[in-house]
Amino acid sequence: MKLHRIKGIILRYLFDLRHSWDRLSEVFYWPVIDLVMWGLTISYFKQFSPDPTLFVIAIISGIIFWIFAWRAEYELSISLLSEMWDKNLINLFVSPLKFSEWVSALLILSLVKGLMSTIVAMIVAFVLFQTHIFTFGFLMIPFMILLIMSGWALGFTIAGIILRYGTKVQTLAWTTAWAFAPFSAIYYPVDILPGWAQFIARCLPTSYIFEGAREVLFQGVLDPMKLVISLLLNLVYLTLALIFLWKSFKKVLQRGLVNVY
Amino acid sequence: MSNVILEVKNLTKQFPAKGWSSSGRGNYFTAVDDISFTVKSGEIVGFLGPNGAGKTTTMQMLLGVLTPTSGIVAYFGKDLHKHREEVLEQVNFSTTYTQFPWRLTVAECLTFISYLYDIPNRKERINRIVESFRLEKLLKKEIANLSAGQKTRVNLAKAFINYPKVLLLDEPTASLDPEVALHVRNIIEEQRKTYDVSVLITSHNMAEIEELCDRVIFINNGKIIADDLPQNLAKKIAVSHIELLVSENMEKLIEYCEKQKLSYSLKGKYIRIDMQEKELSDFLQKLSREQIVFDEISIDKPSLEDYFFSIAKVK
Repeated sequence: MKLHRIKGIILRYLFDLRHSWDRLSEVFYWPVIDLVMWGLTISYFKQFSPDPTLFVIAIISGIIFWIFAWRAEYELSISLLSEMWDKNLINLFVSPLKFSEWVSALLILSLVKGLMSTIVAMIVAFVLFQTHIFTFGFLMIPFMILLIMSGWALGFTIAGIILRYGTKVQTLAWTTAWAFAPFSAIYYPVDILPGWAQFIARCLPTSYIFEGAREVLFQGVLDPMKLVISLLLNLVYLTLALIFLWKSFKKVLQRGLVNVY
Repeated sequence: MSNVILEVKNLTKQFPAKGWSSSGRGNYFTAVDDISFTVKSGEIVGFLGPNGAGKTTTMQMLLGVLTPTSGIVAYFGKDLHKHREEVLEQVNFSTTYTQFPWRLTVAECLTFISYLYDIPNRKERINRIVESFRLEKLLKKEIANLSAGQKTRVNLAKAFINYPKVLLLDEPTASLDPEVALHVRNIIEEQRKTYDVSVLITSHNMAEIEELCDRVIFINNGKIIADDLPQNLAKKIAVSHIELLVSENMEKLIEYCEKQKLSYSLKGKYIRIDMQEKELSDFLQKLSREQIVFDEISIDKPSLEDYFFSIAKVK
């Protein structure tokens, strides 16, 4: 892997970000709207809770953690879509750029942009609701690593589908993550879901993280098995997603990169 | 054969054909059919053919962005598939069917592209390229705000950024005005002279190909049907064009053409007749005998364009 080539791809997207208000607003606008809406809602409902402070932290941290995972997925698939909209894939792959270097650049970008969104959301949460997720201490680190892994796994899968079927399935980039949200138990325990939905939730690495986070808040302890299961699931999904993306790329080369749009 | 820079051996590309195959087996359309050719160091080779002949498919395979069904593409004696990174470091490409990110400025595009190659002094190289392609005034403009000709110039500048040893140019002067097109041809010539760059070029401007290329490869229906010097290909067409401004007895001339089954077309007082070169002297004598008076005459020898048209007609 050559660092200068990874830097080239990162520069391409950072330049793009500098010029496009829509991409820039995506980083900040939706996370802030999400947080303000939910924040105000729970500010009203907290009066019915036996422990209002923890109740607010649980919901706000759920939002912030979810933003991090969702942005990771979204950035990966939107970056690929940008290349397709701009008909720029050929310019990239007639150069010595390796597939692994391109993927590495996209991972770095999704991490950076995910962090940008999350930091903005954290500031908004602190300013408006005097709430912060530092309550979780160092556990924030494994939580966020596991969440970004989940986002990447989903992002790679969607990117692979978009590579194969083109922009006619582009809507997957901004809708798929939300289809997994109800099963991820972001704001409620898995137990309240119907049986079939609980099964899906148990197969998702995200549900273990959100359950674990609530465990830390309300009971002050964390079952380490939750982190282990989440990590194992993430490793399996991430590996499968990368294989799928690589195979999709190979499949597209059978058709020609010129015909990818 | 030591100075062979690009070697293409038995290259074939088949695509699944649309529709249902009654045999139940795969039904394929062969876009490129077992072609082989070489390009030598410092050689400029025209790669011509009608639309759908297989030029772009071949170009894509030469760049590694389309997997061949079979065959080998080797640069500098190294298989592209096995040595992709090393080979593509010394190859570049320009075409009108790809674009740059439309929101980026010209300077930003050249900057990010320069990082994809191992270029010693990027800033200096970009400045040099900008100067060569007269892009100074466009540097801060976004790609979306460029004219078609300006985009083509940026695309070409990008193709030279890595000091390529092999350049693949697909319609490099399309949408350029004649002055800039000439400038671009001069740059290609200059690069060849200075750095011994080999160029494989497609164009629909036959005059440009005749002027620029040492050799021309014609492809049709996925097969190479000719590989020769431009002048030799033109010679394969024996028909010349004679254009006359007839002042008297035009009817007699038309009658003669119809009798001799010569192809002709009329434009005001001008008549354009196609005939074999060997028939020319008899024809001119006939005009004199029949008292067909003309004020102007021009005789065009067969050109590469005539060869191209003859190929396109066959198609």
